[in-house]
Amino acid sequence: MAFNSVLEIVNGVAKITLSGELDAAAAPAFRTDVEKAAAAKVKAVALLMKDLEYMASAGLRALVFAKQKMGAQTEIYMIGLQESVMETIEMTGFQNSVTFLDSYDAAKVEGA
Amino acid sequence: MQPLLVPGTLDSLSAIGQYVNAAAVAAGLDKKVAYRLRLAVDEIATNIVIHGYEESGLSGDVLVLSTITDNSLIITLEDTSRPFDPRSMGRPDHIDKPVHERPIGGLGVYLTIQNVDKFDYEYVNGHNRNIFIVNRPKIEA
Repeated sequence: MAFNSVLEIVNGVAKITLSGELDAAAAPAFRTDVEKAAAAKVKAVALLMKDLEYMASAGLRALVFAKQKMGAQTEIYMIGLQESVMETIEMTGFQNSVTFLDSYDAAKVEGA
Repeated sequence: MQPLLVPGTLDSLSAIGQYVNAAAVAAGLDKKVAYRLRLAVDEIATNIVIHGYEESGLSGDVLVLSTITDNSLIITLEDTSRPFDPRSMGRPDHIDKPVHERPIGGLGVYLTIQNVDKFDYEYVNGHNRNIFIVNRPKIEA
């Protein structure tokens, strides 16, 4: 399934809805949204990943870029991940730098 | 399955992924194993396109082959970029570091080696051959 990334900024949080397959060919679209979020100086990034079926390391690289561009204090939330995507994240140690949520929790994410 | 020949560009990754998924179904792999194999192949295919061809100013194709034996599914990627053995990369030393302190990159080969039962490489007649082997489930007698 083709990759799609949709950015929405709500109460100082960049909500990026990801769907389809995030490989190296698709990563620039995600990275563009990350750059827009960084430019908007958001306090947190919420990645809505329920419909993201596949993610290669190119997706992880965009996250490293996000964290470096926005600063370590910017929280990154990963929401509703599929099991295989989660496994890749755990294999690469990213779970220590992001917060996982089952569903979007406005009080938690926007209150941060 | 018939081999797949695609141009060595990022736009071909999707077709390579579909080919690997189809081979995994034909070999009776479970979904999780199939996902991990596709990831492994995708990471190396990405490196071939970006480092092997684009950054070297070269162009060429990627040939994808699959062989199903009694015990395993073997996927092979062949390309004509400069010889490069991904196994020479070693394990990245930044896996345990917080994300904001990491270099960007160095994860692809690590993910490949972690996600298949065996990863092999050879250079034969001007071709890089990256070989991915996963065990098939045992069939009950």
